[in-house]
Amino acid sequence: MPNLTTVISVAGASFAASFVEAVEALTIVLAAGLARGWRPALTGAAAALVALALIVAALGPLLGAAPIHALQFVVGVLLLLFGLRWLRKAILRAIGIIALHDEDAAFARETRELTQAERRLAYGFDWLAGAAAFKAVLMEGLEVVFIVIAVGAARGLLGLASAGALAACVVVAAIGAAIHRPLARAPENGLKFAVGVMLSAFGLFWTGESLGVPWPGGDAAILAFIALFLAVALGLVGLLKPRAGARA
Amino acid sequence: MMGAIAEQLIGLFVDDGLLAAAILCVVALISALALSGAAPSWVAGLLLTLALPAALAASVLRSVRRQTRSR
Repeated sequence: MPNLTTVISVAGASFAASFVEAVEALTIVLAAGLARGWRPALTGAAAALVALALIVAALGPLLGAAPIHALQFVVGVLLLLFGLRWLRKAILRAIGIIALHDEDAAFARETRELTQAERRLAYGFDWLAGAAAFKAVLMEGLEVVFIVIAVGAARGLLGLASAGALAACVVVAAIGAAIHRPLARAPENGLKFAVGVMLSAFGLFWTGESLGVPWPGGDAAILAFIALFLAVALGLVGLLKPRAGARA
Repeated sequence: MMGAIAEQLIGLFVDDGLLAAAILCVVALISALALSGAAPSWVAGLLLTLALPAALAASVLRSVRRQTRSR
């Protein structure tokens, strides 16, 4: 039976990571819909959701059949690659070495490109808009599927992780449908920073557990790893931001 | 489109190639130590806990140095 720490960590990581991915997908779908029409944009997005459902249906039985230690090891290593990559990028953005991700700029760029592209209709359907929405939802959706599997599978909490991801996607879709603008005010780098810390902590925990490491405190060690990665990340920002600013 | 999707899938896990290589090397080395019995499992845990944040810090420092040199 998972303890409260694990439940909150899994649901929180899944919600926050999926929120970021859903915001990015929403930006492209909105751009496609506003620039070229809602029918192809929504059809492309729906087709991607069907493709994602098929991928999940195919992967589900494989996960159930995999030995738990092998699953923990593979998931742990992939989480380390994924989480530390997000955390590195979030740190570099916080320091000012790379530019912050700007949803308004991404929306404007995508809208401009889709508006300027030649309108080619085949069978009465705007394939360019459909393909743009399909690709955005599929790619961001694959990240959501990976995050759900990564944070949920190794402890048998796929349902909880899926609920967190679904809640994030519903919230973003509802806000997007209401305001018809990208969610530029979402604190994306802050979320990526937090998610990078959490996914890295999960990755360290699962990798060690798959190797038989007796983590002190059991699942509560995840909180210690979150604190460790947070301290390292904030320390790097505190140490390097003034220097980067001074040399700019 | 399939090529672009495959490229983006790899990009989910690999951005800074050296960071990805460092993570894989650390995990491979510590796994070998733990599974061969050359190191007790608690030592493997301690090594993972120290090496992974260090790999992150090294990657960030390298990026900052490279960026400030190019300015």
